[in-house]
Parts: sequence; C-alpha cells; structure tokens
Amino acid sequence: MITLRGLTKRFGRTTAVDSLTVDIAPGRVTGFLGPNGAGKSTTMRMILGLDRPTAGQALIGGRAYRELRHPLYEVGALLDAKAIHPARSGRAHLLATARSNGIPARRVDEVLATVGLDDRAAAKPGRTLSLGMGQRLGIAGALLGDPPVLMFDEPVNGLDPDGVRWVRQLMRRLAEQGRTVFVSSHLMTEMQLTADQLVVIGRGRLLVDAPVDEVVAGSAVAVRVRSPHPDGLAKLAERLTAAGATVEPAGPDELTVTGATVDRVGDLAYESGVRLHELSPHGASLERAFMELTADSVEYAGVPGTVGEHR
Amino acid sequence: MSTTRTRSASRSAGFGGTVAAEWTKLWSVRSTWWTLLAAVLVTAASAGQLAIYAANANTNDDPADDRGIVTVGSVLVDSMELTQYAVLALGLLAVTSEFTSGTIRTTLQCTPSRGRVLLAKAVVTAAVTFPLGLLLGGVGVLVARPVLGEWGAAPVADTLRDLLAVATYLALVGVLALGLGAALRSAVLTLIVLLATLMVVPLSLQEPDITVLNRIADGFPAVAGGHFMAGDAEPYPALAGLLLLAGWACAALGIGRAALRRRDA
Repeated sequence: MITLRGLTKRFGRTTAVDSLTVDIAPGRVTGFLGPNGAGKSTTMRMILGLDRPTAGQALIGGRAYRELRHPLYEVGALLDAKAIHPARSGRAHLLATARSNGIPARRVDEVLATVGLDDRAAAKPGRTLSLGMGQRLGIAGALLGDPPVLMFDEPVNGLDPDGVRWVRQLMRRLAEQGRTVFVSSHLMTEMQLTADQLVVIGRGRLLVDAPVDEVVAGSAVAVRVRSPHPDGLAKLAERLTAAGATVEPAGPDELTVTGATVDRVGDLAYESGVRLHELSPHGASLERAFMELTADSVEYAGVPGTVGEHR
Repeated sequence: MSTTRTRSASRSAGFGGTVAAEWTKLWSVRSTWWTLLAAVLVTAASAGQLAIYAANANTNDDPADDRGIVTVGSVLVDSMELTQYAVLALGLLAVTSEFTSGTIRTTLQCTPSRGRVLLAKAVVTAAVTFPLGLLLGGVGVLVARPVLGEWGAAPVADTLRDLLAVATYLALVGVLALGLGAALRSAVLTLIVLLATLMVVPLSLQEPDITVLNRIADGFPAVAGGHFMAGDAEPYPALAGLLLLAGWACAALGIGRAALRRRDA
C-alpha cells in the first residue's frame, strides 16, 4: 500500500506535483498516467525519498521511505534503466545492491533468470547494455528483495514486442500475488491491457483515480451506425438529433453518433424500425479518454501551423 | 519469480551491508585498478626525481646546495605532494561517478540514510587508501634508497614511522576528497577545489613569506599534513598537524552529508 497525502513538490515557481492525495492498493496493477512533464517521475522519486516533498507526505505501509532500514525488502523500484555505471557489469551492479540490504548473493542469479538475462548478458559492462537489457536489469534489481510493493517508471520503453508482453505478464503476476504494483506510462493502450486501476495526473494534479473500465466507459464514445436503407438512416438521424445527440454522416450508408450510448442508439433504431448492419462503439479507448482528461493540462502542447514557417 | 519470500533471510545487514555494497562497487570497475597503477608509477617517478635532486645537490660544485645526508623517508614525504592526486581521484570518484551515472539513486534506495552511505564510502576509501599508502611508501623507499646512495640514510624505525605517516595522510586526504565530492557532485569541480585548497591557496599565502600569512597557510590541510609527516615541532607539534588534517576530513564529510540530505538526488 502506497499512501500519498497532499504530496506537493515545487521547483522555484513551478509546481511539479500539486497536493496529490491517492491510495495505491495492493493486489492490483495501478497505472500512473499523464502527459510528459505531468509530474509522474517526481512523484515516484518522492515516494522513494529521493526528492524531498515541499509539502505533504508519501508513505509506504504507513512509513516514510527514509525511515526504512532495509528498504529493498519493502519496496522494489525501477526508475531509470540507464542508471548503471558504464564500466560495471550488470551482475556486479545487482550484487552491490543485494549486499547493501543483506540479500544473499544467490538471489542475484534467481532474479537474473527471472528477467531472462543469461551469464553473458549479465557480465557485460553497463555502457554496452541496450535500453531493453537495461530495463530487464532494472526490473531484476526491483525484485531482489521480493518486496510487497513494486514501482516501475516506464518499464516497457525500449522493449521489443516480446519484452512488452513479458513485462505485462510479470506485472499481472506480481499483482495476483497480492503485491502493490504501481506502473507509470505514457502508453495509454499498454495501460488498458495491464492496469486494473488508473491514476491520471496532469500538471501535477490528480485528474482521475478510478478503475480502468470506468475511465474507458466514461469517455465520450462515438457510435458507428451502418444501414442498407438511406431513408431509414435519415429517420434515425432525426430521432437522434431530437434526443440530443450529435450526428455526422460518415458515408452514404453510415453515421457517426456522439453524445449517445450504443444502447440508446440501438433502442432508437428499433423504435424507428430501421434495419442496421452495424452498430458499434468507436474510439472507446483509454487513449481517447486520456486525451479528453488531459486536454487542458498538456505541458508541451504543439502549436499547429508553426512547423515549417519562417519567422 | 520465487513465490517463497526471502524476507526473513539475514535481515541484519546494517552498516556492514552498506560497506560491503560500497566495497563491491569500488572493485567492480576497472578505473580503480588504473588509479592504483597510476599512483604506484607517480610515486616511483616522483621519489626517484626527488632523490636525484638530493644526491645532485650534494655532489655539484655549489657548496650552498649541500644538504648533507637526507633520510629516505623525507624524500618519500616530499613525493606525496604529487602522488596524493592519484589517491584523491579514488576518493572523489567513489561519489562523483554515482552522480554522473545516476546510480546514486539506486544507492540511496538501498540505504536511505545519507549519513550511513557517506560513512560507508569513507570507511571503504580509508580501508583502501591506507594500505595503498603503505604500498606507495614501500615503492618510494625502494626507488629512492639506491638513487640517494651514500647521501641517503634509512634508519628502520624512522622509515617505518614515515611509511605510517604517509599512509595516514593519504587515507585522510582521500576522505577529504570524498566529502567534497559529495557536496559538489562534479569530479572536475571537486578536483579544482582540491587543487586550490591543497596547493594553490597555501602556496600563494606562503609566497611573500609574511608571518601572519604563513600562520594562516599552516592551517590548510596539506600544510598541516606536511608538518605531521615531517614530524615537525614548529609551528605546532606533529600530532596537532594530524588532528588539523583529520578535522578537515571530518568537516568535508559533514558538508557532504548535509548536501546529500538537503538536495534532491
């Protein structure tokens, strides 16, 4: 269990994290989403006691990280896959990490096997590791103490599709074992597949703390309607508009409806006696929900029309 | 993923665990070995050169140069002025390389107590630089003795005392470099501050040979260490020189700890 209470971090006049209050519960994967610069990494660093909060607190199992004597047994974290000394081998890196908390050396071999790094890969110096191998090494480091709380900052960056699937399964398995799994990502589709719960922040503020299904369902869903009868389609469009929905023709035999659920559109089509060949939710993805949620809080929004202009 | 929890296993790592981790880190990078090799070569070259100067001063035509018979230990002590930089590198790299590579975050995740991390690094630095100092002393003596020839003397007790003094000096300046490195984070910046503190500033103070400025220079770490190694009685006893140097090392550690605690990693 990770508990954030009014967690705030200001750098000068910039507020990176703005009174965040969230509980991250055990037994499920909690996705931590937000646009770049939203404050995800800063929040994770504060949980790990690396950055000092300006106000509020971050607790793990009720205690601040800096109070933990052997933290690797309590919390495992992957922050930065490239954080390894360029000349040190992955194995030595893990060995030093293990020794600091009195974790037996054989555990290093166990976690290396878990993440699929063989002896040759583990013997390579840090500078020669690919980003993907670095991610696996970082995950191995997080698992060393077999901790009940795990945090991963963008763990699938640089992984091939196989690696992505592997990380997804690992997160699921760790959560099924009853652990708290807190994963940040900017890949919304990835979170839709992995996470049970979503914590979305924008400009350091909490936007959403809800189950994934709820976030997806709550997003404005477009409904695609296809019918072989243009007259019937026109009639349905009238009924829908009257019911407050927005209707746009998407082709000679197709409509895109927003502002009404799939169920509602189906009911109206039935009442109007219109034969349908397709009635489907469209764009009901986390991606879309995410864009809507964070529309007002994107730090580095591209300005349309400035590319290629000579000023 | 093992489902059997290892949490009960050896949980009493404590400070020893932190030291073991630092030890593992130090010896798992090749630059440590290169630094040791460099220290040996610099000592041999420097002690050899100083021995040649001493012998030459006694044999040239200018009687004003005559120094008479010098001890091998004094040549060794003088050679530390150059040799110490290789040892300083060892101390400062132990912490600045962590900031360069980003591993400081892993280190502080493993051991959240900043003081404990820095103390463990100090223990490891001293545990390496002290025996290294003995080794370098041995190398210096072996090189200087034959070069000095008839102009050299190496009374066993005095030479052993000089060896121990050199090793102690190097261990303390190594820790001084470590503390400064923790405060400044950058290797280059730390080296510049060290050069200024150990050499440039005290030399500039001594240059005009004004008593009050000389007294101030005597307070600087390398000058204090020099009085300690030379076994001087003036301007203060050798032991005071040792304590002054140790004070500088402790102060640097204290500043480093405060910086680690205050600043975000």
